[in-house]
Parts: sequence; structure tokens; C-alpha cells
Amino acid sequence: MKYNRIAFDGNIGFSSVTDEKFKTNFLIIRFITEMSGRAAENAMGISVLSDSSSRYKTIAALNEKLSSLYGASLSSTVAKRGDLQILGISSSWISNRYALDGEDITGEMLDIVCGCLFEPNAADGKFCEDVFKITKKDLLDKIDAEINNKRGYAVSRAYETAFRGEPAENPRSGTREAAERVTPESAYRAYTELLEKAQVEIFYIAPEENPHVESRLREEFAKLRRCGQECRFNAPSPLKSVPERASEEFDVRQSKMVLTFKTATDDRCALKLLSMIYGETPVSKLFMNVREKMSLCYYCASRTIFAKGALMVDCGVEKENIEKAEAEILRQLDEIKNGSFTDEEIESALLSLENAASSVGDTPSSYVSWYFERFCEGNIITPQQLMDEYKAVTRERIVEAAKSLALDSVYLMLNKEVQE
Amino acid sequence: MEKNILTSPQTGDSCIHVKHPSGLDIYICEMKGFSSVEALFGTKYGSINTMFKTDEDKEYTTVPEGIAHFLEHKLFENEDCDVFELYAKTGANANAFTSFDKTCYLFSCSKNYRESLKILLDFVQKPYFTEASVAKEQGIIGQEIKMTNDNPEWRLFFNLLRGMYHNHPVKIDIAGTVESIAEIDAELLYKCYNTFYNLNNMVLSIAGNISADEVLEICDECLKPCEDKGLETVFPDEPAEIVCAEIREAQPVGTPMFSIGYKCAPCMGMERLKKSMAAAVTAEVLSDASSDMYQKLLNEGLINSSFGTEVFCGDGYFTVIFSGESSEPEKVRDAVAAEIERVRSEGLNEKDFQRIKKSTYGILIRELNNVEAVANSMINSHMDGVSPFDAINVLSEMTSEDCMNFIRSELSGDKLVMSVVEGTV
Repeated sequence: MKYNRIAFDGNIGFSSVTDEKFKTNFLIIRFITEMSGRAAENAMGISVLSDSSSRYKTIAALNEKLSSLYGASLSSTVAKRGDLQILGISSSWISNRYALDGEDITGEMLDIVCGCLFEPNAADGKFCEDVFKITKKDLLDKIDAEINNKRGYAVSRAYETAFRGEPAENPRSGTREAAERVTPESAYRAYTELLEKAQVEIFYIAPEENPHVESRLREEFAKLRRCGQECRFNAPSPLKSVPERASEEFDVRQSKMVLTFKTATDDRCALKLLSMIYGETPVSKLFMNVREKMSLCYYCASRTIFAKGALMVDCGVEKENIEKAEAEILRQLDEIKNGSFTDEEIESALLSLENAASSVGDTPSSYVSWYFERFCEGNIITPQQLMDEYKAVTRERIVEAAKSLALDSVYLMLNKEVQE
Repeated sequence: MEKNILTSPQTGDSCIHVKHPSGLDIYICEMKGFSSVEALFGTKYGSINTMFKTDEDKEYTTVPEGIAHFLEHKLFENEDCDVFELYAKTGANANAFTSFDKTCYLFSCSKNYRESLKILLDFVQKPYFTEASVAKEQGIIGQEIKMTNDNPEWRLFFNLLRGMYHNHPVKIDIAGTVESIAEIDAELLYKCYNTFYNLNNMVLSIAGNISADEVLEICDECLKPCEDKGLETVFPDEPAEIVCAEIREAQPVGTPMFSIGYKCAPCMGMERLKKSMAAAVTAEVLSDASSDMYQKLLNEGLINSSFGTEVFCGDGYFTVIFSGESSEPEKVRDAVAAEIERVRSEGLNEKDFQRIKKSTYGILIRELNNVEAVANSMINSHMDGVSPFDAINVLSEMTSEDCMNFIRSELSGDKLVMSVVEGTV
């Protein structure tokens, strides 16, 4: 495996990984920008790019071409990391060596990606209305469909409660109201601003080196008048003076509870180990007690949100057991604060982290996740280097990380029937 | 013990199959350059196997819905400890799943795979159930059932199956119901375990950064020889006709969701593989994102990018499904039916068929790029009665006439069922 990151002019990073074991190529171009009132325009601007281009003017034409290239994929992605919106064009295709008729799949895909990105289906300062209309409906349907995944929806609402007044409170693709207001003109303006001002990180993972990918993208970006902004990857959220409780009622069979804790600690390794011991594995305190001993939940897990200085616990639970579950979740955190955890629990957390770290590189997307996250943290290190940092964490540091956590808010999705 | 090397003539990829003296079928794929290992130890026992007997039984036994899934949960408790505590000492990420026709115990890891493999082989062969531990699990699984019942995709899919199947247990929920799992006790669990967890009914599939010789040494050490007890599972007679053409349910969802399925004749082994691949290619030719039908529906605002197709088949069931989101699902159903009638009389476009065939080939190549996908592919193909690389062979020999035959014989308007989940918010 060979990893290399170079910088293009205008705050653009190009990372490449050459790993001969893969049978596919993977290219993703990410635009990083502050989460703002323009989140919906940005989401629409990026989504319309993966639906057509000036050469392939309809969704049908573009998809016909992609399927003829052995089912190559091209899609847009919209995500949120802390107070930032991360928008991407992602594509993947099989290596030329598997082409049955000797086609240059990589060359054709590079043309397609560059075409969609730099020569969009637009004229006179606006996207083609026909394609835009379809893309807009799709985005609105996706926003509406967030309720379909009850666990994800509850976490999303917990974000709004915990980070109220901060950019992170916004949904990743903006609100429905904002999405409804987007026009072909405003989406096009958002697209051109992303091209010119957003911080850009590109990842290319392939079985063989192909310098043409780097040179082509460098040339295309060089044609723009770029003034790439620097983004603030970490924006710790202030703790509320009194924990806030928010609840909503739905026609659901199971209630959901999300607890958000906040911390001012900058000891991320200790916080991660604490979260592993607390609720990230099947031998964690939450799994062994809230689920296995008390039979209150099927899932009850913790996660760290480093960019916001927060830790979340979420679970699915009967309405009448909410108080009992909350008390046990808090009690288990107190156990860690009091140092009631064994060396075996630390060791198993480390083994689990080591297992995950050693698997980095077994899929193209795992390379991207690893190196992008390290880039955001401002410290591009190898999985082994991060493991060394985890192994240096002491019991005392874990206790201190636990003590630094304070309850900020509780979100409840309540079962309407049980309430009545 | 003979090692059979199975190789794909199209890609050159290969794996090893061994029939172990214990009765277990073992598939091993050494994947050079990969760090991780994925192992699945599975039994051909899923939610549909509710009626069975062995040579030792006079009568068929009928068991409560959801017992295969319940058994999966309970195997994680040994007499002296929780199995996750054992895996915690190796760092492996362990899990299990129960589907319609199989239960698999798995781990993934990048260190200590030998120790993790020993744990896997050991705990699955060592059941330990008590009435107290069964009662405890009823609470946890009760929450799992409620969680899946709040999942609209899940409800949509099972309602579709309920609209298709009169008697076949594929229509029952994999985890059963809160009421059905209340009937489960330790004695029933042992009965099911002793019937289905016989190594002659099981498979080990392992792929990634491994040595085949090491894997086989560990198998020799850990596997206890099993006598083949002549397991028979039976299914109630299932008419070819559907139960009803439409089922609707209300749930909190955004845009209403639909699933449109054709009930097709079931089949087994290689015949099923050929038919399922012809069905998958046919569905894509009819409705992929470049098709006329997709474009028309999209332009009219009747579907969005969630629209897709799926072939779902197993012992005694076979269906091809078109699903997505629409505020007017009836119009989508009518358009799908009309397009099938048009193709039935006019034939498939050969150019489109060749393009979709190429695209499907690309998807199969991608599966070989991933340790988890390879391990899953080996166990799935064995349980379906075929070899791991048969799919790519079948695809290479497929013609558009195979797809036309599928349309003519299976996609009949009177076998069409639509399931809809409408919003309540």
C-alpha cells in the first residue's frame, strides 16, 4: 500500500492510495463548508451534479453510460461533521483489467466525473430546470423520509436539542422549508461558491498508480478562481446551565431516549476509551447491565462526537421503563467516574480498537474514512500510531474523562398509545 | 479429507471446499493483501423451518414462530460465561443473524483469528439453556420485535409476503411475536438445537488473512463428529394463487412506500440460481434508471431515486419485487404491469439486455473485492445448493431469451401483489 497526500493551489488536498489487492477504483471529491442557512442550496447544488452533465443531459443518458461501464457508480453525498457540512461526489468502477472488451473504464469515468463537476447541465446561471425539478423532489422526499428510521430520527432531534443555536443543530441537507425555497438559480450559485470557496479534499483509491487522475483534477481546479476557505473542524458546544428535556409523541410501538453529555476535555483518546468501556461493545457497561441484566432494551449504546465535545447514549425502551433506563445509564457512568472498572475492561476496549484499526485498508472506503478523519483532526497518522496513543491512556485519564462529562439534554420519542 | 479447489474461469479467483469428517462443509478463501478475517458458522435453520422431524422422531414437530431467532440469542450464553466476554479477550467483533432459511454466527477481526475461530466453533456446539435465562431473553427480544415493527420497510416487506403466501411460513416475522416467543421454553430450544445444529446441516465459511491449513487444524481440534440423523423439514402446501392483491398499513413515514411483487413458482439449486439471475436482469432491463419506464415515472413525479428491484427466493418461495416511494403507488403498479405486458409482446431490447448483463458482471466483480462479501457469498451459495462462482458462470451464459422465458412464464398479472405503507404524520 502506498499513501500520498499532495496539496493543489487554493486549499485543495489530493490523497491517493495505491493498493494492488483491489479490483475497483474509488474517487471521491469532498467540499467542506460551514453549516449555514445555505445548507439546502448546497445539498441541491451537489445532488444535481451527479444526475446529469452538459454531455449527458438526462438522468437516463448518464445512467445508461454508467451501466455500460460495468455498473460504475456515481452519486452525491451530504453529511454533517460538527458545525461543518461535507458534500461529495463519489464514484467507483471496476479496474480496467476486468473489462471484457478492453475498454478504458478509468479514462471514461474520469471524463464523466470531471464533466459532471466542471461542465454541469446548466446555462445562463441556472441548472437545467427539468433535471433540477426531479432532484428537488428527491431531496424533499429524502428530508420527509428521515422519520422512517426512528432511531436515526431520534438522534437527529437530539442534535437539535443539544446544539441549539449552533450550526450543528441544522439537519445535514437543511430544513424542508429551506429546501422548498431553492431555485435552479440559487442552487447554481451555491455550486459555484462551493467550487470557488469550499475547502476541498479528494481521495483516489486504486489498484494501480494513475498519475493522469491527479493531473486532470489539478488542471480542472486550476481553471477556477479559487479562494478556498479554512474550516473550523472543532467547535465545542457549551453546556446548558440546566439539563433540557424535550419530547415528542409519535405512533410508534417503542419509545426512544437519547442522552447528550458534554465535556471540555481535550483528551480524546481517554474519552474514546471511556466510551468503549461505557457503551460501544457487547461487553460494555450499558450492554451488560441495561440490556443483559435488566432486559430493558435491545440496544443501548454510546458514541463520541469529538467535533462538538459531546458523548451521546441512545436506546429503544418501553415508555414505562424510561426512568429506570435513564437512572441505570447515569449510574453506569458514575461507576466509571468512581473508578469501578477493571483492567480487563480497559484491555478489551483496546483490543476492540486495535481490531478496527488493523482492518483499515481492507475496503477503499475504510482508507477514505481513516485519512479524512485524521485530516479533520489535523494529525495525519497511521492506525498503528493512533493505537500507540490509545495504549498510553491510563486508568486515571479515563476517570478524569468520565468526570468531565455532564448531562446536557435528554430527547424522548414517546409512544402515543402508551401515553393515552 | 479432500480439498477441492474451486476456481472462477472468468476472474481467476478461487476458494477451497472441504467435506470434514465431522460432517461439516467448510469453505476457505485465502485473500492475499487483506488484513481482516470474516468467519461465519451457520446452520440451515431459519424462521421458515417450523415443522420438522429426524429419523429418531415418529411425528413431525411444530414449533412456535420465532424460535430459530430466539435460539440464536440464547447460544451466546455459555454455562459459565457470556460468549462476548470470550471474544473480548481476542478483540474480534462478534455477531449473529437469523434469516428466513439460515442462522449464522460470525466474527470479523484482524488479530488473533485462530483464538476467535476456536471460540466460534466451541460455543455454537455447546448449548446451555435454563428457564431463567429464557425468561430474561423474552424481554430483550420483545424490544427487538417492537423496534422492527416500527421499521416501515420491514412492515412493507412482510405485508407483501402476507399478500402472497397463504400457508408458507416465509410470511411470518423472523423474530416471531411477543405472544409466540412467550411459548418458548428451554426444552423446546434443546429440541430445535439437537435437530438443526447437527454438523451435517451446517457450514463454516472463512475468508481473508488466513491459512487454510491452520483453519483445518483448528476444525480437526474443535469439531465433534456428528451422526447424520436424516433431518426432514416440510412446508405446508402453498397454492400458486396470491392471497390478496393489496395490503395497506399506516405508520409514521414521509412519502408513502410501496412494494409491488409477482408471486413466482419456487425451485431449487442450480435451477433457482439461473431463474433468480434471469429475474434480476429482467427487472433491471425493465426499470433501471435509464429505462423508458423509469424516466416516465420520474418525470411524472410518481417515483424518486429510492425506486429499485429485488429478487427474493428460497425453499418454497420466489418473488420479484419493485419498490420505492410514491404518493400514487397504484399508478406505479399499473405502469410496471403495462411495461411487462408490452415487453411480453414486443420482446426485450437486446442492446439494453447486454448493457445490464455487463453491469451485473461489474457488481459480481465488486463482491470479490471485500472479505465480508466473499465469506457471505460462500456460505449463501452452499446453502442454496450451488458453488461460490456459479453466479458469474450463469451470467456469462445468459441470453435475452432466458429473460423472455421468465417474463412469459412468471410475470402474470393475476400474481401481482402491492403492499403500501402510508404516512400518519
